[in-house]
Amino acid sequence: MGITLNALTRSLSVFHLAASPCNNCDIEILDCLTPKYDLERFGIQLIGSIRHADALLVTGSVNRKAAERLKLLYEQAPKPCVVIAIGGCACSGIMFRDNYNFAGPVDRLVPVDIYIPGCPPKPEAMIAGVAKLIAKVRGEKA
Amino acid sequence: MSMPLTGFADRFKTRALAWEEKRARRLYVEIRPSDLLETANYLYKDCGCRFVIATATDIVTAITVLYHFAHDASGVMVNIRVTLDRDKPAVESLTQLFVGAEWIEREMWELLGITFIHHPGLKHLLLPDDWPNGVHPLRQDFRQDELPPPCPGRGAEENR
Amino acid sequence: MAGAAQTAAVSGMRLALELILFPGFAFCALAGMVLSWLDRKVTARVQWRVGPPLLQPVYDLVKLLGKETIVPRDAFVFLAAPLIGLAGVTLVGLLVGQATLRPDLQTWGDLIAVAYLLTMLPLGTIIGAAASRNPLASLGASREMKLVLAYELPFILALAVAVIKADYALSLGEILKVQWRDGIAASSLSGTLALLIAVLVTQAKLGLVPFDMAEAETEIMGGTTIEYSGAPLAVIKLTKMMLLFVMPALVATLFLGGLRLDAGAYGVGMGALKVLALAVVATLIRNTNPRVRIDQALRFFWGPVAVLGFVAVVCATLGY
Repeated sequence: MGITLNALTRSLSVFHLAASPCNNCDIEILDCLTPKYDLERFGIQLIGSIRHADALLVTGSVNRKAAERLKLLYEQAPKPCVVIAIGGCACSGIMFRDNYNFAGPVDRLVPVDIYIPGCPPKPEAMIAGVAKLIAKVRGEKA
Repeated sequence: MSMPLTGFADRFKTRALAWEEKRARRLYVEIRPSDLLETANYLYKDCGCRFVIATATDIVTAITVLYHFAHDASGVMVNIRVTLDRDKPAVESLTQLFVGAEWIEREMWELLGITFIHHPGLKHLLLPDDWPNGVHPLRQDFRQDELPPPCPGRGAEENR
Repeated sequence: MAGAAQTAAVSGMRLALELILFPGFAFCALAGMVLSWLDRKVTARVQWRVGPPLLQPVYDLVKLLGKETIVPRDAFVFLAAPLIGLAGVTLVGLLVGQATLRPDLQTWGDLIAVAYLLTMLPLGTIIGAAASRNPLASLGASREMKLVLAYELPFILALAVAVIKADYALSLGEILKVQWRDGIAASSLSGTLALLIAVLVTQAKLGLVPFDMAEAETEIMGGTTIEYSGAPLAVIKLTKMMLLFVMPALVATLFLGGLRLDAGAYGVGMGALKVLALAVVATLIRNTNPRVRIDQALRFFWGPVAVLGFVAVVCATLGY
């Protein structure tokens, strides 16, 4: 595996994309950056611009307005970029699947690399998901 | 009823269609739609209430709109209900009194079809702009299979 | 003739080696990466976290080299702008390093050169942001312009104090030698004031909180760097890391006596300690303050700080 891809797994810049969530998953994501879990020790940081993103953290059941923007943002992110679907809504839409404004789930619109289910998923679950993703990118056994 | 709102009771109790003091600090008042502006103006300007939000429902026989006003000093919530005709629901817009009602009235219009007279611009808030006209999702007679499909997915071919 | 040409060639080669390796690009880059790691580690510790591993800046830069570079339509200026900043910072590092290595060399005016070269970084930032064709980038660029206007005045006043205290010498080497002879500039009143001003200006030059409004992450989504990705972004990040070493080195040279090679290992250790201390001070200021608005920054630098600068210059002229 290339040296730059290896460096990517050790320095992930995440872009938080809230595609019409209820915001519970967003709060749990921010929890991961607090001192108790501290994702920065793995090199993960939150960045502001989509052009700096290595990982798209997508939360929320994507509604019609957000769907266009999600696709646009995925195109704007420089590749290689992984997509992480966080929460039951992003993974499958759960109870919102038959809603009039539902345009998701995320993997219908952009290719997803890792699904982290939960409503909301605990920070431990998110960290476990990220660890599995890193192992997958490096080609190791999860 | 708490002291500051006795003025409200004096002026509007006789004109109200229904008056229910559900709990110590919860007042539900039903008024005619034509009285809405005057009632809201009195609550906002003279009583010093804060407009919290407005909620609307389609109860099969009619469409009701509930306006929630909070009197923060005493903790009293005054809920004003107006009942609108189901076929052509229309009521005066509260944006004539305060700007804060603008977006919630847009939301009530797009989801239930209520027309707000003298609203500066009733356009979509939560739904996309190309939503079909006259289709209001929270109505009881809304049919989901009449909707156009959402934006296309990424299709069979992989994006990477 | 042949002898002169040979000496010129040799000194040219030496200059090139110094520029690229030590004390130029490679040394500044390495030192900058270490200091940038230290900055993140100290920040993490202040926030009761653990913080990233030592090689984190290396991972960040190598990763960026593997990302695709997305450019706006007229790409030349957009891609060239980060290099302007890199060139400026490298040259300043080289000048400060050369003055430390050979303070006896008569290099009149290299302090003026340093002051000008340090403005190449904000210039590159502004040009690159303007070439980004993004409204948030232009917002960041306008803030950067105003910030530079704000801090250049006190910065020149602080430099003036350093010059006056060194018997009106405009050479970094001379300033060092006078300090080694008479005591560091910061031991006098005007020197202390000038050091204080220099620390504040360093915070603004480095674009650290409270003066990072040009690249405010959560507010304008990266501001001046919003459209940069891949290798150009790596250049920008590297330049910032290098500046984190070069600015404290400059301030230490001007006000704290720099690194004294003829004092042997003790001198080298003390010099390194001075640079480290200034970098840690910048980090601690970063961790204990909120971001200020650009108008507040302008009022701050042109108000109390500039007044302090004038007072310091007057005191220095009077000999205090």
